[in-house]
Amino acid sequence: MTSSHGFHPYHLVDMSPWPLTGSISAMMLTTGLIKWFHQYNMNLLILSIFAILLTMYQWWRDITREGTFQGLHTSVVIKGLRWGMILFIASEVLFFFSFFWAFFHSSLAPTIEIGMNWPPYGIQPFNPFQIPLLNTTILLSSGATVTWAHHAIMEANHTQAIQSLGLTILLGFYFTLLQAFEYIEAPFTIADSVFGSTFFVATGFHGLHVIIGTSFLLICFLRMFFCHFSSNHHVGFEAAAWYWHFVDVVWLFLYVFIYWWGG
Amino acid sequence: MNAESGGTQLLLLLLLARKGEVPTMSEAIMSSQMETAPFDPRFPNQNQTKYCYQSYVDFHRCQKLKGEEYEPCQYFKKVFRSVCPNAWVEKWDEQLENGSFPSKI
Repeated sequence: MTSSHGFHPYHLVDMSPWPLTGSISAMMLTTGLIKWFHQYNMNLLILSIFAILLTMYQWWRDITREGTFQGLHTSVVIKGLRWGMILFIASEVLFFFSFFWAFFHSSLAPTIEIGMNWPPYGIQPFNPFQIPLLNTTILLSSGATVTWAHHAIMEANHTQAIQSLGLTILLGFYFTLLQAFEYIEAPFTIADSVFGSTFFVATGFHGLHVIIGTSFLLICFLRMFFCHFSSNHHVGFEAAAWYWHFVDVVWLFLYVFIYWWGG
Repeated sequence: MNAESGGTQLLLLLLLARKGEVPTMSEAIMSSQMETAPFDPRFPNQNQTKYCYQSYVDFHRCQKLKGEEYEPCQYFKKVFRSVCPNAWVEKWDEQLENGSFPSKI
């Protein structure tokens, strides 16, 4: 086992500016959002997004250097990284739980303001057996291809790993494309009753997570291209795959309850 | 108070009149009008908002189906007049007029 400071397996991190730049730009992001909402001026928001992107790029570049090139991610460190990812995904589950709570609160006993009906009178929901069903098959297929990629990595089959991970990313991109099309064609907006609010907040945050997950997989694709992953050390890929499965499961709940039952 | 019980009370008044025991005006008011909406087991909660709304909708659906002259529809009106805040009824009347009422009549 190697580490930066002698005979123990722990990774004692070096001084880094990224926690500081990350905190400052996160504060700038919230302030910039308020400034945008109140003054219709996006300059602070754009600056903060740029600062966050720079922080993310450099922080994760450093982590890749420490883990892949300096060998600082020992089996004990990996255990911590895995737990970190598990707890992060658990907190994401709770995040989506709140939107489902809002949805069921509004739909199980609809108030008189929406005519005690769900969907509310005048709302035309999507047909769940058209694009949403296609999107369900796309995400389920992408779950299969990401597992294929994992097995290809474990068997050190670089060609198949590149192909299957590339296919996963394409499926993720196709999902986003279809959702964008669905949003453009939607006969209701986020401002049309509590149906529109709960629908677009829940599916919108899911869409954001699909984009984040696709980016995560895309980074893994590039790292795979540069041979960062070995058959027994590919924590970054595993974390991306877990995240992707999480996004997939959230979609299944969205599909069954909001698109199908709720439509 | 529904149309049927209104008829029964009228019959009772006629019987009393024949016996020469015509009730006074105040007694008549007390017996015929001091009545609130009955308990409806579809709305068992203390919050009667949905009972109010449903009765308002039922009244207008009843009138649409049976015509404005159909007396039994008045039962629903008596209920929502008794249970609903007047401001709500005024708001819904306006919504019905401008086509923004949230239920199909």
